[in-house]
Amino acid sequence: MKRFYLLVFALVLLSLYALSLGAADVANVWHYITHPLFDINSPSHQIIWEIRAPRIAAAILVGSCLGIAGVLAQGSTNNPLADPAILGTSAGASVGVLAGVLLNVVTIGSVGAVICASIGALLATLFTFSLARSALQLITIGIGVSAILTAVVGLVLSMATRADARSVSFWSFGSLALVTPRTLLILLPILLVCGFLAWQVAPAVDLLSLGDESVRHIGHDAQKIRLRAFAILATLVAVTVSSVGSIAFLALAAPHIARYLVGPRNRTLIFYSAAIGALILLFADSASRALFPPNELPIGLLTSLLGAPILILTLKKGGDVWR
Amino acid sequence: MAMISLQDVAITRGRRLVIDGFSAALEAGTITAIVGPNGCGKSSLLAAIAGDIPLTRGEISLAGRDISEISLSQQAELRSVVLQNRNYWLSYTVREVIAMGQNRDAQQRMDAIVEVLDMTTFADQSVTTLSGGQAQRVEIARALVRDSEIYLLDEPLAAQDSQSKSRVISILQKLRDQGKTILVIAHSDKQSLSWCDHVIDTLA
Repeated sequence: MKRFYLLVFALVLLSLYALSLGAADVANVWHYITHPLFDINSPSHQIIWEIRAPRIAAAILVGSCLGIAGVLAQGSTNNPLADPAILGTSAGASVGVLAGVLLNVVTIGSVGAVICASIGALLATLFTFSLARSALQLITIGIGVSAILTAVVGLVLSMATRADARSVSFWSFGSLALVTPRTLLILLPILLVCGFLAWQVAPAVDLLSLGDESVRHIGHDAQKIRLRAFAILATLVAVTVSSVGSIAFLALAAPHIARYLVGPRNRTLIFYSAAIGALILLFADSASRALFPPNELPIGLLTSLLGAPILILTLKKGGDVWR
Repeated sequence: MAMISLQDVAITRGRRLVIDGFSAALEAGTITAIVGPNGCGKSSLLAAIAGDIPLTRGEISLAGRDISEISLSQQAELRSVVLQNRNYWLSYTVREVIAMGQNRDAQQRMDAIVEVLDMTTFADQSVTTLSGGQAQRVEIARALVRDSEIYLLDEPLAAQDSQSKSRVISILQKLRDQGKTILVIAHSDKQSLSWCDHVIDTLA
């Protein structure tokens, strides 16, 4: 538990520091940060608390969602390589939102978009899963399904001329630049509900590590457990994709790093993976804003650049955590 | 009444008919070994009795009831299964793996089983650190903590040293004496299976 508090503490420190970062030069920045109610109508207050703060909060919420989604993806498929990007979940969510936007049913960042994304994410995940006959096939078929759906997104975007459909880079690398307070109102409740549901299903997901046959032999239905996990996973991925696009690598890296810290038990893992996902995404987003202002770097590139070395290090050091 | 009865069973794996017209009746209170060379379908036979794979033809019944008509949870109450070649990638402890998904009765039996199978020295270790023989004993323990009428074991002695072998054998014989029905899959020759009551050769 101590290490979890440390992670949360690091997250708080980083959030405060991130408030001071950005393209705009704010005088007395720390005074505004430490006095949230000071001089409310000034531009400085608006920059810090109405532009930067929601974005920081979004990074934390999206990072947590992806951290939990990664735990569910790896646990439910009993496969260390599984993540929403590989199973087709993320691409399915992208297709879902894009279809909704182009058909004029929803706008990006709305509840409707989340619903479209959830349907797309769940259908793509189930499609991958129904075709796969083994753990290895799950990955290979998932890569295929992802490739098809990602290509569909790219093709549709090349033909569509509408600005509100967002760019190819939004769908393939993600961006937190367009986050609004309304985005947070959608992210937070979904994170809390799905987090709770994930916590509930976690011991059953532990059981899946025995392999489907052994699960069956002791009287449990592996497919039912997996379906529950998939539904939660799809919703979590959907809410992130429909609000900030596809953010690479986080859902794969965060659970592995968390597992290195606290072992494989999914109930504990959910909390740690969420915290680590939040930490990496917030760090990456802050770096993307601060490194070359006023230009922003694509967030997905930074999550990979940051997450991948940590992942490789933990896997090299954590020899007996998993092999 | 036979506890396990197979009538004219045929099993297809891929496109190959691996078992064709196999019949047997296993009585309660007996240990039966099914032997045969690699690839003769004996593991498929065990999987079919465990309800993991469908039959191409024939009928399998446990305690007089056709397995296709017994629910998942009822099957789980009736029989326990030990599979071979277990691979772990997550570092749960041995005790955690044995207790996973088991009811309270089974969890309470764990300490005793860990003791009898001589697993106390590695019971709190991660399952990823175990040797083949140790991992196999974890699987045996997972089955033995369950109070079943039928035990199905696929090559339970394959990776064990001679001490562990005799330990497992004496546990199985004790269960038999309590009236349990035990089926063992083995590829060893008949002489080394003298501890079993019956040996069925799939080639015969």
